Amino acid sequence: MAGRDLLRVEGLSTRFFTEEGQINAVEDVSFTLREGEVFGIVGESGSGKSVTALSLVDLVESPGRVTAGEVRYRDADLAASVRDRHPDAVDGEFVDLRRVPERVRRSLRGPSFSMIFQDPMSSFNPSVTVGEQIAEAVEVQRRASANPRSTRSRTQGYGLGRLLADTVLPTRSYVSGESRERAVELLEQVGIPDPADRADEYPHQFSGGMLQRAMVAQALAGEPDVLVADEPTTALDVTIQAQILNLLDDLQAEAGMSILLITHNLGVIARTCDRVGVMYAGEVVERGSLTAVFDNPVHPYTQGLLGSIPDLADPAPRLQPIEGSVPDLVDAEMDDRCYFADRCPKAMTECLDKPPEFAVDGDDEHAAMCVLADHDFIESEALRPDYFESPLEGADVDAAESETDD
Amino acid sequence: MVDLDWLLHPVASGALSRLREALRLSPRTVRNLRTEFRRSALAKLGVGLIVCALLVAAFAPALAPHNPTNQNLNDNQLPPLGFDRQTTNTTSKMVNGSIEIVNETSWVNSTGEHPLGTDSLGRDMLSRTIYGARTSLIVGVIGTGIAALFGVTVGLLAGYYSGRIDDALMRSADVMLAFPSLVLAVALVGLIGTASVRVPDPFVRAGLTPNMPETFTLPGTVIIVVGLVNWVWFARVARSEALSVRSEEYIKAARAVGASDRHIVTRHVLPNSITPIIVLATIQVAAIILLESALAFLGFSGTTLSWGFDIAQGRQYLSSSWWIATIPGVAIVLTVVGINLVGDWLRDALDPGIEGEGGGP
Amino acid sequence: MTTVSLGRFLLKRAVQGVFVIWGVVTVVFLLRFITPGDPVTFIAPLDASQELRRRIAAELGLNRPIYVQYLDYLAGLLQGDMGYSYISNTEASARVFARLPATVELAVAATVVAVALSIPLGVVSATRRHEPVDYGATLFSLVGISTPNFWLGIMLVLLLAVQFGLFPTSQRGTGFLPAVAGTVGQFDPGLVVRLAVELRGEALLAYLGKLPLVTWLAHITLPAVTLGTYFTALITRLTRSGMLDELGKSYIRASRAKGLPESLVRYKHALRNTLAPVITVVGLQLGTLIGGAVITEAVFAWPGLGTELIRAINLRDWPLIQGSLIVIGAGFVVVNTLVDALQAYLDPRVVAD
Repeated sequence: MAGRDLLRVEGLSTRFFTEEGQINAVEDVSFTLREGEVFGIVGESGSGKSVTALSLVDLVESPGRVTAGEVRYRDADLAASVRDRHPDAVDGEFVDLRRVPERVRRSLRGPSFSMIFQDPMSSFNPSVTVGEQIAEAVEVQRRASANPRSTRSRTQGYGLGRLLADTVLPTRSYVSGESRERAVELLEQVGIPDPADRADEYPHQFSGGMLQRAMVAQALAGEPDVLVADEPTTALDVTIQAQILNLLDDLQAEAGMSILLITHNLGVIARTCDRVGVMYAGEVVERGSLTAVFDNPVHPYTQGLLGSIPDLADPAPRLQPIEGSVPDLVDAEMDDRCYFADRCPKAMTECLDKPPEFAVDGDDEHAAMCVLADHDFIESEALRPDYFESPLEGADVDAAESETDD
Repeated sequence: MVDLDWLLHPVASGALSRLREALRLSPRTVRNLRTEFRRSALAKLGVGLIVCALLVAAFAPALAPHNPTNQNLNDNQLPPLGFDRQTTNTTSKMVNGSIEIVNETSWVNSTGEHPLGTDSLGRDMLSRTIYGARTSLIVGVIGTGIAALFGVTVGLLAGYYSGRIDDALMRSADVMLAFPSLVLAVALVGLIGTASVRVPDPFVRAGLTPNMPETFTLPGTVIIVVGLVNWVWFARVARSEALSVRSEEYIKAARAVGASDRHIVTRHVLPNSITPIIVLATIQVAAIILLESALAFLGFSGTTLSWGFDIAQGRQYLSSSWWIATIPGVAIVLTVVGINLVGDWLRDALDPGIEGEGGGP
Repeated sequence: MTTVSLGRFLLKRAVQGVFVIWGVVTVVFLLRFITPGDPVTFIAPLDASQELRRRIAAELGLNRPIYVQYLDYLAGLLQGDMGYSYISNTEASARVFARLPATVELAVAATVVAVALSIPLGVVSATRRHEPVDYGATLFSLVGISTPNFWLGIMLVLLLAVQFGLFPTSQRGTGFLPAVAGTVGQFDPGLVVRLAVELRGEALLAYLGKLPLVTWLAHITLPAVTLGTYFTALITRLTRSGMLDELGKSYIRASRAKGLPESLVRYKHALRNTLAPVITVVGLQLGTLIGGAVITEAVFAWPGLGTELIRAINLRDWPLIQGSLIVIGAGFVVVNTLVDALQAYLDPRVVAD
């Protein structure tokens, strides 16, 4: 079922420049998303998976910034339209979104990329009706297609003056009647009963599950090619989670869009994804088809993750939590090593150097950033279990001295 | 930039921790205060301004070059250092049997004797400004104390008992709020009268500064009135804190083991309300200083050593001697800016979640 | 929010307002009995006999039991009667309402100045954080909320009126409406065009300067700026911090994700949500505006309610004191109720709570 590549992400890095120092939230991340597939990104909280999603749609907020990498998106029309002005951004039908102006990237939000967020309650403006907010998403595409290259398309004729007019005269509004009708249709499509009435209600009058459906409706407004779903079910009850996942499944089958699903829930991944990438400390440490990664995990972190979920079929072995926690990702504190080495049960001396990505068992798709993909564990090379708590012990004297100088 | 890192010195820290115990602030709160202080240049500026104002007010007799109430009509309206004042003397003399009027323009120069010049009665502006700091700060601090004592008591009781008592309080607070505090203060001081209290000055008593005024005049009515017109803000904050605290589990637990209401309010509710009250009190000191100066400006004050009073005096000589009205105003602005900066620092560090209530004229 | 629930909310607020106004009247009435000094001593001649004093008290109805006086006063108020001024022997209500328009005009002008300057300034400051305009706005708002407005007024007079003669130092010209009417009546566009064409700049300025509306503007500018500065500073501060708060919320990111233009994100979403809490604080601070008006009137000899109140206090003219205080208090309650309504309109959650 997987089609051609739709999105190729290569070497994406996102940094946050805070007072405490530079934080490498996303580090050299690469993956591809194909037409009509669900690609899952899984990892613990703080592993950089959400920032990866935001980086794709250029929504990383200050003090964060995408610092390197390419986001190649296949769109023949877009490629044709930007080829003249930005020849270096175009490669065949692919356009590197990082090399086109911000205006172009913004114009892709809606018709090409759309996003649903973790907490529906905080992702809707509390003082605007749900229907109006969905209608806005429809209207912005309607206006954009009506005058695609107009200079006014940036504000679409809606400035402070219009806002004041709207406040005084409620009938004058950004949103047209057709968009409102379309919003009700969308609400119906995602299975909200009495959509016409619910459209006039405010977010606080909705339940969490209903509001998440409304957010899906809002994301569908621009008929996107790629739907980025950032923890779409985390804030919901288990029964509602299943409903939302079914809804996403149905919509994908109907519209044939690609979904980038970001979650920490391996059950969700196993249930919905075709392929999966496992993130740790800002890096994709293992990726491949769902079956390859889940049945034959190579990276000890993936093995740990899979070991920490209960298996109903075989409940006998004790759950294996991964010891320790995700590092802070502050640049100054990151050595150039495998970031998982301090929690890894099979860490070896060669893990003190950054491991490259290895293909697993000759499978092109399945790759892991771990030496164990290349060769087996060598017992004699193993690091002491407490190596990272007291690295100075037995380390060379220079390092010890420079430490005390600080 | 004033170097204030001494505040982080161990000795100062010791004082800070004793203060912490007195106010029952958690170590985390103190750490936040310190981090925020270290990070914010504005907080340092604010603390610097307030420390200066407090020192000036405390050591006024030692710092003032002249007795602020001594008049010297020969040296009236002297300009501040670096400025001149033009004046016209009209003389008449007999020339060829007729009277000729001659207008002579002359210049009045500043003297080092009066660095900030003198007012219309020849009183030293620098000394008056120094003494004015005393009035402002004393009225601001005691007035806020009265408002806080009254408001917090009422607010805690209302919030803790809720029900009828609470309703009655909130309605009377609404009525209080309908009167602008300046209007109410003007009405009360105007109708009650401006009684004042003379307090002997310890410096003069000890014979250290023999030329200075022997007593310091506290505007009694004003202090009480500015306290009374501002209690509502404290009542509102204390009430909402008490309301939120009283539903906490540990209060229920304390009640279940038979703690008295009084014990619960003073031991549990009050300490938990202390942070927003401290922040509000800081803002209120600024508001009350502004209120006092406005009252003095309108002539409703019990003392003549007040910045507002001097501004009212100087206003009449605006075209000839601009400095009489200008200098006390600058002093007010600097003091109030300092207090507001400290208020911002406390608010950022303690995050009590209250809006900019209080305000001034 | 349905229209019905909004209507019920407003009705509830209006009823509350009526009760608060009743409280205001009661407090003002009682003020005479809790402050020292018998009104008669201020009215009667110094050498008046006991008999004369008693007659004056009887004539003013001051010898009746307090509850009779109270009910009588309430009954009078309901018919718009505040009693006779002790000093000027006119109806207190006539004096109060003759002075009210000047105060309202000043307060409205100051509010217009404040809102027109502060909200754009706060928005710009929040959206261009750490740029010079942000530092400027922050400094302005800090100094603005720390400056006593009477002193600011005097400094403005010193600079703009005394030094440069740009504005009159005090007094009010005509009211706004008469000024508009007068200008409409005497304005001669033909003359303006002719003077402009003939490049007679001075004559043109002289002609324009004599128009009643221009005179009105010249008189009200300094008082309005004096009174409005504190509010400009306060609202700038609140708008800035509110905008920063809103712009950091998830729904803003979600709005951007659906492709909304930045202006829509900022104004329709963030600013609108910022304004509701700003309006709450401004509503609470209205008292400061009216108090500020009293002192601004004193600085500029503005013939409003504040100067009248101070005069009445100094003369112990009780009907006038009571009338002014009640109008000020009731005016505050009415405007505050309107502010509540505006807030409910902007933020439907207010009604839900």
